[in-house]
Parts: sequence; structure tokens; C-alpha cells
Amino acid sequence: MNSYKFNDLSVGMTEKFSVTITEDMMNKFIEITGDISPIHVNAGYAKEHGFKTRVCHGMLFGSMFSTLAGVYLPGEHCLLHSVETKFSLPVYPNDTLTITGKISEINDTFKTVFVKGTITNQEGKKVCKANIQLGVRE
Amino acid sequence: MTKEEIMGQLTEIFRDIFDDEDIVLTESTTSDDIEDWDSLEQINLLVAIEKHFKIKFQLADVANLENVGSMVELVSKMIA
Repeated sequence: MNSYKFNDLSVGMTEKFSVTITEDMMNKFIEITGDISPIHVNAGYAKEHGFKTRVCHGMLFGSMFSTLAGVYLPGEHCLLHSVETKFSLPVYPNDTLTITGKISEINDTFKTVFVKGTITNQEGKKVCKANIQLGVRE
Repeated sequence: MTKEEIMGQLTEIFRDIFDDEDIVLTESTTSDDIEDWDSLEQINLLVAIEKHFKIKFQLADVANLENVGSMVELVSKMIA
């Protein structure tokens, strides 16, 4: 885990990590949230509607921005303020995603950091992007 | 820039931040008058105001802002 303090951060700093989405992760997400929409649960249903197989919940892989902020950038001292997320392509079980955060702006007065987040799949295609705003605890 | 012009430009910034074209500001408008105006949006507002007017606040400048009127006064002083 990284432990950057506010003064350690600078515009352009970038951190990334990878994760592979599994059926087990999707099932646990369903158990936690109760989102049993058939597109996420039933592979046959998903295929009938034009998808390769059951589709990963956007909020499951979008939650990796929490990991990005809380573990990598800035890590330990993060206080997440907001994550505005857009989903652009479906994600499927066994897809390997790379989650990247790049600091786009730092406001010294209000001790606020702005991060551009992106998630790409194993083909390098962007499946999700986010504007992340966070503080850094002293 | 007159205070009326600053108020007009602040109104546009508020409408953008709160995604509400119906916002009408007066000097006495406070966070009590805009439902979503919390501490996080206060930071977003001040950062947007900094960018728009090309000014840089210090915490002491903004710590005791009472209402939109005091925002207008502060911006007016800083861009003079």
C-alpha cells in the first residue's frame, strides 16, 4: 500500500494495477447488492440480448476506483470525496482490467486532489472512466 | 467588472456546479437556500470560481464567507 501525503503528490503522477474479474466476484457482488438483473445473472439471457455472456456489473469494476484511491493514489491517507463514473463497454468474467489514475489537478488551498481514472480491458479498450476527487489526511 | 457582472457570472458557475438552471442568486443567498450546497460542493464552487476569475484564494479569505454577497465582495476585491 502506498502512503503518499499531500505534499508528496504532483500533477501527472500516475499509479495503476490490474485485476481479473471472476464469476465468483460477480456472485458475491450480487449477494451484497441484490442486483439480480438477468443480464448479470443469466448467460443465456445475456447472449440473447447481444452480449458474449453474463455482463459484469458496472459498479463492481467501477468500485476498483476505490482501491485505486485507497491503496495506490494516494493510498493510506486517502479521503475519497467523489467518483463520477462513465461506463463505455461491457466487461465479462475472466476479463483482465487495468485501473489507472493520473493526477490532473491539485488545489493547495483546499487540499483537494483531482484524478482522472480509466479502466481498460486486456485488449486495451477503455471500458470505464472517472473523475475522482479526494483529500489527503494529515 | 461591476458587482452585478460578478453576480451574473457566479450565477452561471452555481448553475453549472449544481446542475440547476433555475438557480437565482441574491446577495443574501446562503447554503440554506440551495439543498445540495454542502462542504464538498463549497470546495467545488470555490475551485470553479478561482478558475473562472483567475484568482487564488487563501483559506483565511474564504473561512468566514457568510453569503453570496460576501463572495461577490471577495471576488471584486481580488480582481480589482
